[in-house]
Amino acid sequence: MEHIGLTHYLIVAAVLFCCGIFTMATKRNAIGILIGVELVLNSTGINLVAFDRYMGPGRLDGQIVAIFMIVLAAAETALAVGICINVYKNIATVDVDMASQLRG
Amino acid sequence: MNGHTYEIFLALGVLSPFISFWLLVFFGPKLGKPWAGWCAVILGMGVPLAMASIVLWGWLGEDAASRAMLTEHAFRYHWANLGTVSILVGVKLDSLTVAMYFMVTFIAFWIFFFSIGYMSGHSDEVAGKSKYHRFFAYLSLFAFSMLGLVLSSNLLFLFIFWELVGLCSYLLIGYYFHERVPQYAQMKAFITNRVGDFGFIIGLMLVYFQLGTLDLDDAARIFAEQYAAGTGIFASSFTMFGWSLATIMGVGLFCGAMGKSAQFPLHVWLPDAMAGPTPVSALIHAATMVAAGVYLVARVFRLMTPEALMFVAAIGCITLFLMALIAMVQTDIKKCLAYSTLSQLGYMIFGLGCGAWIAALFHLITHAFFKAMLFLGSGQVIEGCHHEQDMRKMGGLMKKMPVTGITFLVGVLAISGFGIAGTKIGLGGFFSKDEILAVAWVRAFDWDDYSHHEAGAGGHHASVIPPIPAAEDSSNDVFSSEKRIVLVSDQPHGDTHTTSVTPHGLKPSAHGGDAHGRAGIFSQTPTLPKWMFYLALFTAYVTPFYMMRCWWMTFMGKPRDDHVHEHAHESPMMFVPLVVLAIGTFVSSYFLFRDLIADAATQATIAPLVMATDGAIHTTAINAAHSWLIYGVGGAFIVGFAIAIVIYGRGLGMASRIKRIAGPLHTLLENKYYIDDLYHLVWVKGCMAVAHIARFFDTWVVDLIFNTLAKLTERLAAFSGLVLDQHGVDGIYNGMADTAINVGDAMRRSQTGRIRNYVLFAVGGVTIIVVLMLAYWGVASPEQTVAMLAP
Repeated sequence: MEHIGLTHYLIVAAVLFCCGIFTMATKRNAIGILIGVELVLNSTGINLVAFDRYMGPGRLDGQIVAIFMIVLAAAETALAVGICINVYKNIATVDVDMASQLRG
Repeated sequence: MNGHTYEIFLALGVLSPFISFWLLVFFGPKLGKPWAGWCAVILGMGVPLAMASIVLWGWLGEDAASRAMLTEHAFRYHWANLGTVSILVGVKLDSLTVAMYFMVTFIAFWIFFFSIGYMSGHSDEVAGKSKYHRFFAYLSLFAFSMLGLVLSSNLLFLFIFWELVGLCSYLLIGYYFHERVPQYAQMKAFITNRVGDFGFIIGLMLVYFQLGTLDLDDAARIFAEQYAAGTGIFASSFTMFGWSLATIMGVGLFCGAMGKSAQFPLHVWLPDAMAGPTPVSALIHAATMVAAGVYLVARVFRLMTPEALMFVAAIGCITLFLMALIAMVQTDIKKCLAYSTLSQLGYMIFGLGCGAWIAALFHLITHAFFKAMLFLGSGQVIEGCHHEQDMRKMGGLMKKMPVTGITFLVGVLAISGFGIAGTKIGLGGFFSKDEILAVAWVRAFDWDDYSHHEAGAGGHHASVIPPIPAAEDSSNDVFSSEKRIVLVSDQPHGDTHTTSVTPHGLKPSAHGGDAHGRAGIFSQTPTLPKWMFYLALFTAYVTPFYMMRCWWMTFMGKPRDDHVHEHAHESPMMFVPLVVLAIGTFVSSYFLFRDLIADAATQATIAPLVMATDGAIHTTAINAAHSWLIYGVGGAFIVGFAIAIVIYGRGLGMASRIKRIAGPLHTLLENKYYIDDLYHLVWVKGCMAVAHIARFFDTWVVDLIFNTLAKLTERLAAFSGLVLDQHGVDGIYNGMADTAINVGDAMRRSQTGRIRNYVLFAVGGVTIIVVLMLAYWGVASPEQTVAMLAP
């Protein structure tokens, strides 16, 4: 049984990141995309905490930034949901493929 | 009356028709028929007639001295300066003005009145709109201009009103402008008058430049002074056709009169002017406007040199003779009267040229009355006969139109000089025509005796000129009162001016440059050629013939056209003026006018070459001539009437036989000596020929140049437009715009509007950047990373 090091954390974060990106790239539901964004943010949070633990022990920089990020993610989610509601009001759906008025 | 009362009344009489004119212009259509006509009768002529009557009444109450005062102190207003010449607006107030003013207003009033009756029977619609009010508007404007002309004290204003009456004549001749004949007639009248006016303008310019004034009285005074001193216009050595500059001035002014009074070379318009409505023919082309030319000559008589007067006499003599002959063969009733008018105007002009100033103007006034009446009578006939003007189709109208027939006969008698020689019984021409002839006889046969002992001039001549007895006492009052207005303050010879306008004006103690100068001119007056006297005498026999012919063909004999005869009738509205004017003919032959003109003669002419059976000079000789000549002239009407009745008494048979015998002579007269044709050939055709040449030049030279230039410009424009602009300038800007569009098109394809695509782009982009960074910097080991991050 190998000792769990930084690399493992990074791999998990990378997998999570890829899942998030994949979700964003494939979901047509705005809420789904929002979930993908959360996954990406959380993978970043894992990275921050992991780097703090292994690269700069004794300091709390990474944790503090991760907490900030969670707060920001919450704010961002509130904002994004608001946008979703407005999109729904305008086009009666949250399918982002339908909200393509600004295409070139 | 005192102050400027006369002037105010006269000016009111001038302004009233002017107001009437504008009223009719703006409100004429609303007034309609016949109220527009009544507006002109009351405002246009009724008021002036009332004013004229008041002035005449007042004037008759003045004695010679106060008349002289009034003339001298007549209203003048400094209006403007023309260079150094000051233009004075004012009223020429003397007996001639009063007489003319009354004559014009009186005759015009009754013709206006007649017009209402005349126009009521005429259709006056053009394109569905009535032009009835126009007729009366023009008549009012004419009244304004004619009265203004009579009142003008200044040649400039006289000229302005002169042109205005010409305009009115033009407008009224062409009243039926939708027909062809009146159109040509009005143009002919206007253009012929322009020819005369050209001479008038030359005369005016000479007066302006040489005499330095345009006021009638000042001009005459300066003219006399210059003659006495040999300065100014007499200092010029310029001659043309053998005439001195002074003569050219007189002839130039007379040219205007030749146009208006239709004298020989310019007479062609008057017969054609008969195309206008008959009241217009009566008023303008018989009684008043054509008399304006005679009036002008009478007014500028003082500016005429002996040569100029000789020219005037010659033109008058030619006119009176030639036109009387044409009148003999006319068959149109109005044309016949028109030619008789021409002939009578010739008598007036001839009289003025001879020096029979008083008789000529007296003839002017009586002629105005009876010729207006004759024309109105002819209008009545034409109206009654269904617009038939050919006398050959009339005849026997006396029973149908008794009033017209009798008044017409009165006119015929008056123009023929009917009277009983040796007594005072007569009509119109009887009093004036033989006096003109008596003066002409003295000038032609008995002149040397009188002119030669004039040569001494100075005070000597005063004995030759008998003063007017009545004026003797009163004239002293004028001098003693010493109330003089010197019009232009810096005149060196103000004295001369004042004396010149006194009743007899030739008092030895007071005579200045005037009397001296004029007497000198007088002494140079040549003998009149004898042919002039003979022609005038012969014409006195022709006149009764053609007038009686005209009357007989119309009113006597058997009706020649049943249709015309059946229709004939007369209307009271129209024969009232006839009766009034017939009475006017009687009155004017005996009362008022002769005295007024004789009174004016002494003031208006400074009297050197004014000769008459009473007044002025040479009374003895002229009376002697008159006493036997009166039988020759006074009997003329008997001979003329007899011949006319013999020829036309039994229809037209004998006339047509004579016509066959006379042959070419008759044809010559019928074609008016071919003068109209000559003018047509020379002027109209000539003008056309010049126009054709000009057109050829225009087409082949001017147009060619301009067309070539235009073509070149067009080509240049095509080049610059198609090549430079479209391909050059436009190309650059269009290219830039196209590029922008293409680039934009290309760019917008990436903006798909799908979030998933954007995410993929972002991820792909970041991946590429990371891969590139790794490739460039290499992959760092964990230790290196730790070292890098270590504080």
